[in-house]
Amino acid sequence: MLSYYLRLASTSFRRTPGLTALMICAIAFGIGACIVTLTVYHAMSGNPIWWKSNVLYAVTMDSWDPAQPADPERPTLPPPQLTYHDATYLMTSSIPKRKAIMTQLLGMLSGAPGQKAPIPVITRATGGDFFPMFDIPFEYGGGWDAAADQGPRPVIVLSQSTNDKVFGGANSVGRSVVWNGRQFRIVGVLKNWQPAPKFYDLNEGAFSRSDDVYVPFNWGPTLQQLPSGHSSGWGSQQASDYQDYINAENTWIEMWVELPTPASRANMLAFMNSYWAAQRKAGRFQRPLNNHLTDVSDWLKVNQVVTADNSILLRLAFAFLAVCLINTIGILLAKFLKRSAVTGLLRALGASRRQIFWQHLVEVAAIAGAGAAAGVIVGAIGLKAVQILYATGNSDLGGDNYAALAHFDAAGIGWALALAALSTVAAGLYPAWAIGRLPPSRYLKSQ
Amino acid sequence: MSLSLRPMLSSLLRSRTGAILVALQIMIALAVMVNAVWIVSQRIADIEEPTGIDDPNTFVVAIAGLTNRFDLSSSLAQDLAYLRGLPGVVAATASESVPLSGDGEDTELWLQPGQRGRAVVVGEMQMDTSGLQTLDTRLIAGRNFRQDEIQHFAKGQTDLTPPDIIVSRTLANTLFPGENALGKVVYGDAGKPITIVGIVRDFIGPIGLGNDPYAYAIYPQTPGSYGSYDCLVRTLPGRAEAIMRTAAQHLADSNLERVVLYAHPLGYFHRQMIAENRNMAIFLTTVTALILSVSCLGIFGLATYNVSTRTKQIGTRRAVGARKRDIISYFMVENAFILSAGVLAGCALALGTGYWLSTQYALPRLDLYYLVGGVLFLWIVGELAAWQPARRAASVPPSVATRTV
Amino acid sequence: MLKMQDVSKVYRTDLIETHALRNFSVEVKSGQFVAVSGPSGSGKTTFLNVAGLLETFDTGTYELDGKDVSRLSDDARSRMRNEKIGFIFQSFNLIPDLDIYDNVDVPLRYRGMKAAERNQRISKALELVGLASRMKHMPSQLSGGQQQRVAIARAIAGDPALILADEPTGNLDSLMARQVMDLLEQINEMGTTIVLVTHDPELARRAQRNIHVVDGVVIDSAPYQRRNPADEATAGAEG
Repeated sequence: MLSYYLRLASTSFRRTPGLTALMICAIAFGIGACIVTLTVYHAMSGNPIWWKSNVLYAVTMDSWDPAQPADPERPTLPPPQLTYHDATYLMTSSIPKRKAIMTQLLGMLSGAPGQKAPIPVITRATGGDFFPMFDIPFEYGGGWDAAADQGPRPVIVLSQSTNDKVFGGANSVGRSVVWNGRQFRIVGVLKNWQPAPKFYDLNEGAFSRSDDVYVPFNWGPTLQQLPSGHSSGWGSQQASDYQDYINAENTWIEMWVELPTPASRANMLAFMNSYWAAQRKAGRFQRPLNNHLTDVSDWLKVNQVVTADNSILLRLAFAFLAVCLINTIGILLAKFLKRSAVTGLLRALGASRRQIFWQHLVEVAAIAGAGAAAGVIVGAIGLKAVQILYATGNSDLGGDNYAALAHFDAAGIGWALALAALSTVAAGLYPAWAIGRLPPSRYLKSQ
Repeated sequence: MSLSLRPMLSSLLRSRTGAILVALQIMIALAVMVNAVWIVSQRIADIEEPTGIDDPNTFVVAIAGLTNRFDLSSSLAQDLAYLRGLPGVVAATASESVPLSGDGEDTELWLQPGQRGRAVVVGEMQMDTSGLQTLDTRLIAGRNFRQDEIQHFAKGQTDLTPPDIIVSRTLANTLFPGENALGKVVYGDAGKPITIVGIVRDFIGPIGLGNDPYAYAIYPQTPGSYGSYDCLVRTLPGRAEAIMRTAAQHLADSNLERVVLYAHPLGYFHRQMIAENRNMAIFLTTVTALILSVSCLGIFGLATYNVSTRTKQIGTRRAVGARKRDIISYFMVENAFILSAGVLAGCALALGTGYWLSTQYALPRLDLYYLVGGVLFLWIVGELAAWQPARRAASVPPSVATRTV
Repeated sequence: MLKMQDVSKVYRTDLIETHALRNFSVEVKSGQFVAVSGPSGSGKTTFLNVAGLLETFDTGTYELDGKDVSRLSDDARSRMRNEKIGFIFQSFNLIPDLDIYDNVDVPLRYRGMKAAERNQRISKALELVGLASRMKHMPSQLSGGQQQRVAIARAIAGDPALILADEPTGNLDSLMARQVMDLLEQINEMGTTIVLVTHDPELARRAQRNIHVVDGVVIDSAPYQRRNPADEATAGAEG
């Protein structure tokens, strides 16, 4: 019967090609706009480590000024980063299965064979747990151990793109490079790892490219090198040297812990709270208790990774699709009603309501299907346009790279199919149902 | 008007599904259009904020030297001397941050010592005596820094309080509304007094578009705490790109103890700064235009359908003496009913959406003038969309009445 | 074949009630050729719509082919229309987008028949009406009489027990009208019950029996003299 309905539909299309094209276009543009916004929105709202999102926690404590919150616009939030004092103390806890503190440093890398001038590298100074905690895949070698953290030992991990740049992609594990004027031994090279959003440090742009090289955290203090990433402080101390800076109420360190069980999570929070209480007695932490262990998906929400503009655009696209569908319903109703004489005849010849309903729904589905196919093209073009619009994105120092988010892929086709199904149901159900309800006798005589 | 509304209303009610569908489209179109235009108008205002600096003719070369052997202050002095010596360069200075880049520092200035009294959050920019000339922001009152006032940072040192600062006009007014800020004293975090020695025209500094992009204080300082500095160079008109390429190459090759992080014209940062607003405006405008077009097609389609199903009725009306313009006004008034219903519901939806946007996304509340404008616009466009079918209806010959179709 | 007892049908609008059928009782035996005549507005068409299960009625009972159809669901009525009834209309009601073959195919499709059987039935029906050679023509390429013969082929392709014809010759000239009537008689002789609605007394006279309807009431159902008096007609005309 389906093939018969399809044949009837194609006859109907041939009779009103203009209207059919109009409906297909309307649905195509509606679906296309939705594909564009959904793709970007989906990429933005993605959780790049969903499989262990609920055991990874960002650690925050409200060490801020008693007179005012860290962010006056969102006064309930503690600062997103920790002070050196707090971070290094919390790192002494043995409760977490894994734990790492981290910051971003400017770096220059040289000393590779055949390399003339040093290249700038965005450096993540962090702990050896960083790699297994975030399931980071290695192409060659691996991370480093706790002893290397303590030293700190001159060990370095390169990103895939850095290794490509200075070693032409060869296995460079065991070789030496010069980082900020010191010899470092390469212990690992990552596979291409570009978490988007860059959940572990959202301060430099949630969609900035991932870091170029990784060294043990203690190299920052050892070399007295100030962090190049986000840093925020309060208080009246003057920082006349690095030691002053790290002793002051400056927050500049991100801390993540892996807590596999609710019990370990509770223990960790208790540990933080008792530290807080002790410090409060000593005169710090004068704000109300506001310690948090925030898992990845909440962390992305709290930090508003999906911009307001994006959620507005997503809703706008759906409003547009709604208008397109309402428009299509109107056209379909008119089209179906105009043919009601034929439909009445079919009913007289014994077609049941259900058969009439399905026949019309197949016709709608064909239109929605064609609209979805055209919508995929419109969406692909739209995404290309978004890439061009965002092509100005700063890539050298790791600004947001939205262009990379606007990639057309299988998900886009998936959206199109889902929306086509939705469109069929939304646009077709009522007209197909209404037309089946017409009394069969009404239109026979008046033709 | 020689047509009565009652029969029209009853025929509207009979074919109500089509009319409701069109009214729904109008409703959504109005709500979307009004709010989109409102958002776009603010974005355009943001985009068109004057930068206050000579960004088309200014570029930056960012330098980092991170080894122990690297002598930042002599490197900085050499680089500035080299840049100032290049033909076509008007002025050059070194800073910790780049205007318009969105990456800068802010601090608080207090009106009384000891962190008491009113505090004002200000953008902070550190530059030497060439700073004002490089940015092309001129003094309105007071003086520039003297060479001996410039403070130099050691590596790791972050905040030194200078004795003197220059403030932007906006900041001067914020700190001392209705007073002359020149010569007044403010206090930094550490409580030391700072004298305002100069007031300059407004400019957008490194933090970019924030709550108040123009509230800036210039500190008489050279960069150094992070082992990096940004050379800002202003050139003669039209020569920035070429000089930038030469300079970046030279600076990269002349000293291998440091790296060039990047070199960009300031226009690059300006484009980036406005990109989000610009793209939002483009997308909103495109989709709003599409929604309007689709809605007009809907109006057109419904009117056409109504005309085609009422050919006989129109012929009869003509036969009993209706003039062409009576037929046209019949369909235009019918369309106006549908439009009005849609617009009325659309007003409610537009206000609701505006309220929701303002609470959910902290956008400014919808200006009611935009709603009034949107209603008028949509009403006129909606009537225009029905004009052609109404004209077609008027051309139905009276003889149709006697035919048995 | 068809038995209506005290059937009434009222059309209601906001302003008026129209009693289209009042206590309408009639019986048509299997194999009969019956004409229903009456002035326009008398209720002929309503009778046809009710008889053909196109419309429901308000009171009374209606048995079709021995089955009470008063309380049937819409689906069951559709199936009965499809299997038991063939319609022939004044304005032919062929589907303009479909060719002759596909037009005859329509009711068979809705019955869900296999392709081979449909093909065989369509060919047979079109041969009977003498249009087998025109299968691939579109309706607009045929004359009125030919179109009506296609409609007859469509009506008989499903082997209905009852054919309801509504002014089948109303849009035809007299030559074509005669051909169509001949065809209907031929079909009747093959055993199919035919109910012919007409206001033309000439045509009504060709039937075995005439049911005269005025104001929704059967007022006379006198049998006509027919070639085949064995088909005795009875009419329950208590209305």
